Amino acid sequence: MLRAEGLTKSFSGFRAVNNATLHVKKGEIVAVIGPNGAGKTTLFNLITGILRPDAGKVLFKGEDITGLRPYEVCRKRITRSFQVVNVFSRLTVFENVRVAVLSRERKTWNLFTPATKIATEETARILDSVGLGAKATRVSAALSHGDRKVLEIAVALGGNPEFLILDEPTAGMSPEETSRCIDLIKHLSEQLGLTILFCEHDMELVFAIANRIMVMVRGATIIQGTCEEVRCNQAVQDAYLGGSEAECLM
Amino acid sequence: MVKAKKGVGVAIWIGAILLLLVLPLFIARFYVYMAAIIMLFGLLATSNNFPLGFGGIYQFHHAVFYGVGAYTTAVMVTKFGYPFWVSAIAGPLMSAFISLVMGLICIRLSKLYFGMLQISLGSLIWVIVYRWYSFTGGDDGIHGITLPDVLSSYSGAYYFTLIVTGLCLYCMYRIIKSPYGIVLQGIRDNPVRSEMVGVNVRLHQLLALVIAGFFAGVAGILFVVVDNTVFPDMLFWALSMETIIMCLLGGWLTFMGPMLGAAVIMALRTFVSAYTVYWALVLGIIMVLVIFFLPNGILGWFTGKFSSRTERVEEHEFKNIRPETD
Amino acid sequence: MDLIYSIVPPGVLCQVFVGLSRTVILFIVSSGLSLILGVLRIPNVAHGSLYMIGAFMAFSISTVAGGGSAGFWLALVGAPLAVALISLIAERSLFQYLYEREHLMLLLLTFALSLVFGDLVKLVWGGEYKSVPVPRIFQGFVPLFGGLPFPLYNVFLLFVGPVVAVALWLFVNKTKIGKIARAAAVDREMVGAVGINVSWVFASVFVVGCLLAGLGGVLVAPTVSVTLGMDHTLIIEAFLIVIMGGLGNIWGALLGALIFGLTQSLGILIWPQFGIIFPYLAVVVVLLFRPTGLLKSTW
Repeated sequence: MLRAEGLTKSFSGFRAVNNATLHVKKGEIVAVIGPNGAGKTTLFNLITGILRPDAGKVLFKGEDITGLRPYEVCRKRITRSFQVVNVFSRLTVFENVRVAVLSRERKTWNLFTPATKIATEETARILDSVGLGAKATRVSAALSHGDRKVLEIAVALGGNPEFLILDEPTAGMSPEETSRCIDLIKHLSEQLGLTILFCEHDMELVFAIANRIMVMVRGATIIQGTCEEVRCNQAVQDAYLGGSEAECLM
Repeated sequence: MVKAKKGVGVAIWIGAILLLLVLPLFIARFYVYMAAIIMLFGLLATSNNFPLGFGGIYQFHHAVFYGVGAYTTAVMVTKFGYPFWVSAIAGPLMSAFISLVMGLICIRLSKLYFGMLQISLGSLIWVIVYRWYSFTGGDDGIHGITLPDVLSSYSGAYYFTLIVTGLCLYCMYRIIKSPYGIVLQGIRDNPVRSEMVGVNVRLHQLLALVIAGFFAGVAGILFVVVDNTVFPDMLFWALSMETIIMCLLGGWLTFMGPMLGAAVIMALRTFVSAYTVYWALVLGIIMVLVIFFLPNGILGWFTGKFSSRTERVEEHEFKNIRPETD
Repeated sequence: MDLIYSIVPPGVLCQVFVGLSRTVILFIVSSGLSLILGVLRIPNVAHGSLYMIGAFMAFSISTVAGGGSAGFWLALVGAPLAVALISLIAERSLFQYLYEREHLMLLLLTFALSLVFGDLVKLVWGGEYKSVPVPRIFQGFVPLFGGLPFPLYNVFLLFVGPVVAVALWLFVNKTKIGKIARAAAVDREMVGAVGINVSWVFASVFVVGCLLAGLGGVLVAPTVSVTLGMDHTLIIEAFLIVIMGGLGNIWGALLGALIFGLTQSLGILIWPQFGIIFPYLAVVVVLLFRPTGLLKSTW
């Protein structure tokens, strides 16, 4: 469904992403892992149009989407959540998602109908599905960190995506919140059939839900394969996992 | 509980409107004039707050659109002899047009750059108006603009201002509450996020600028009706700053805040000027106090008092969770 | 020489150089504004008022010192220092608490201060024109440009300009404070995290910037009538120069001041009534092609 080939991006001489490749098949859950500064977020920014790549291509369902503006990428039904919480802080939880839904339904140019009459059911449905229904009238800045991360995902869902990119969805969450988040991701994949690409530092989580894993180190793709292939790969172990070979099941 | 609050709110509104309707009947003409001035500056401030408080756009030179609207009408009536009503419609349209042109130039920049470029372009227009004596009357401005009979009395001008201001405020209120308005506020809080949910941020911001410019132009023609003159200072950056102060003082995250701010500033100015010539000093000190102690403005402070903790954002908390910008 | 005169009449050249000496003052003030904008990200609307205070202070110091040459030199040192002191007080008591807030608040604070300073000047010095005499060494003219008289004081200005430019460059690039300031302009938190007291760096930069405004005021005082309203005209010009040159870039301020000053002089020569529009037009044209200014801004 999504292919990134040879993506490269430099910032004033520093190569953040170096010839990275990524394949994601429809319905899969793929994780991108790598040490801090490996370029994961930059990669996501390149895919979603926030940055233009210096070289390389991004293909979505066969169509070249390289260099499209973020809102155009979103229209193709690729949405994302951000690593640092990036919601509409002064708006309520409900309105946060409603903005995304309004945009999805192309109603953003409606100047006269009260917004409370539009997109309400869809917004409520999404909020309930992520478990934030009870907190809908709270200003989003007043939520706990974990809830805000879930709101991030809810806003991304507002765009009715086929392809969902989650940038460190459980960063800073408590164990309880993390397990609820894992359930949510599984639900999104199994019940709603979303294709999910995410990056994480929590290895247990990654190995628990990912179908395949792509490993990035210093901007380059080292390997993309199943959990077993990655766990046993020497280069990955040296660079990142620092694990013992005893972990590796033959 | 909520219903009771709503009931009180409606009662206040009805009371205020009734009061405004009968005002000219029992106060002196000067105060009728002041009331009209307050209303039109309130409209100007509200239209400034549309991109500023609700769109997060650094609209630093709003007075330009006000002045352009007023001058267009004045020049059309006095120099070209167009009938008043035609000129009055042309004024805001010209403001909206200038706003569109300036917007197209400035919108590719964000934040401070946008504000500063707007100041530059606005200053250019001010200089042209200031120097073009034959067309705009230069430093003298234009005086004694003939108005239709119904508007030439104090109360006529007052009622016209009241009706027009009311209609414009209602329009802007509806727009704020519409899907577009919500999206605009989303853009204010987080332009990157907005792009990522599929909103063409630039285009939506541009519309906000045009709407703001239009209503500023309306305020301009109201001034022509109320005061019968135009002068270059209407386009000067100092007036833009004062308008922003009105927004801030009243509460720039609320809808009626700017109107309240305008009323307070105008009333204070009239009152203080009777005692001392150092109004600027007083205004400056008030501003400093507002910036430090009332950053959400008067109305913002009130709504903060009456809403629960989860319904509002404290300014100092807000800065900690805001994503890195600039 | 004659070759040049055949292309450009000596009268025009003379006007141009007079304009250039005025440009020096614009540069000095704008560089201060640019410095503050670049490092502290404050658009200092009060800059014009500080310039005005500098000019009025020059008048007072010069008058107290007897109105002669000594008065001028005293004022040249004293007035900028007085302005620096005022700005230090303002920064420590007000500005430093607002750095974390939105730009809008800082901008409005500087506007509030410009209102306060403007009226304070009115309070202290009254509303009438003041004048500061040119020091005796610089009185009179020197025949340049084919014998046309060129004011000696303007020659002095043309020397002061480069001196200030070099001094500023040294401050920003060669002193420890300057280097820290440049780092802080780009990444405030990082500098703080390294253990440097960013607060005092900011204060120093702000004071230096305002000192330049005061210096500009002193230098301009002998050439114009010192009046209320000086602040208003200057602040717009200074802002436009800074925007044109690139926010925070000192050389940009120089370039901007040159373009501004030259287009103004030439403009008035060519079209007296509307000549004053030319610098504004120049700014707009520059910004259309390079929206962030001619030279790289510091952020």
